[in-house]
Amino acid sequence: MSILNTGTKLGVLVIIFLVLALLGYALFGDRETVKTSPLVGKDAPEFTLKLFDGRRVSLSEMKGKTVLLNFWASWCMPCRQEAPALEQSWLKYKDKNVVFIGVNVWDENTSASTYIEKFGGGYPQGIDPEEEIQVDYGIGGVPETYFIGPSGVITDKYNGPLTEEIIDYYVNRAAGPEKDSPSAN
Amino acid sequence: MPTIKNRTIPAAILTLLFLIFQPGAPSAESLDDRVNEVAHELMCPVCQGQSVAESNSNLARDMRQIIRKQLEEGKSKEEVIAYFVNRYGETILASPPPKGVNWLLWLLPGLAIIFGGLGIGIYLYRSQSGKNSGDSGKRAQKTAADSDYMLKIDEELKKRES
Repeated sequence: MSILNTGTKLGVLVIIFLVLALLGYALFGDRETVKTSPLVGKDAPEFTLKLFDGRRVSLSEMKGKTVLLNFWASWCMPCRQEAPALEQSWLKYKDKNVVFIGVNVWDENTSASTYIEKFGGGYPQGIDPEEEIQVDYGIGGVPETYFIGPSGVITDKYNGPLTEEIIDYYVNRAAGPEKDSPSAN
Repeated sequence: MPTIKNRTIPAAILTLLFLIFQPGAPSAESLDDRVNEVAHELMCPVCQGQSVAESNSNLARDMRQIIRKQLEEGKSKEEVIAYFVNRYGETILASPPPKGVNWLLWLLPGLAIIFGGLGIGIYLYRSQSGKNSGDSGKRAQKTAADSDYMLKIDEELKKRES
């Protein structure tokens, strides 16, 4: 003989259904709208970096160019892993209206300078003296890279170490028509 | 005609309401308190279950600095939180906003308590009333048996007397 009556059984079934629906939505739902950053598709936040060679560079100076903005730190192993790919890609794109900028975060100046000497990086590399750029760009760790189109709109964000193929793909997306839907990695 | 006593009660209520809802009450909250309040409403993106207020990570430290700077610039708490949501998404919020599928998160515990309570209540009520009806049945049987027995005793007594 059953302890619960029909009404109670129905209530329990409804609750189980709601819980399963919630789990299903969390696991499989709304995949199309998942992006690596809410900033994708929006204007890139303005910044001014103090470069390791003493110069200063601002994003507004790069208007009309495709920008690869790479966040890194000297203590970060995946950053070392991607450094040769960044260097090779920069050599490939430097005369093609594409700018590479490295942003050193959560680091010490001496360690960062040693890193640059060791792993190359002929492109501008610097820090934000205000230490705000990493939060302005929603950075959670390193390496993370933003791709900004010539109009100043962020087309993609990539979390993790880059390869030359990945750089080619996202630089071309950024340089091309910005109507392309943003992607997630 | 209103008496003094009649006037005192409404006046006391009005004074109480004024004290509770007085406009432009000076806030004793310091900037540190306000920074802490906002930081508690944001989760540290690189930590496990820690708010920006609780975390010692570099990122949380940077975020606390930005919260302080923006509050000093005169931005409201909502504007500061919106700044972080625009950069990190709604997952940065310590409690999900009650909209869309998030409503389920807010409603399910309440529904579970209501339905669970109802289920338990109904079960207890039915088992109790079943027990009571069983008892009363037995009592009725017992009463009937007693009265039969009493009738027989009466008859026996009458026979002896006669």
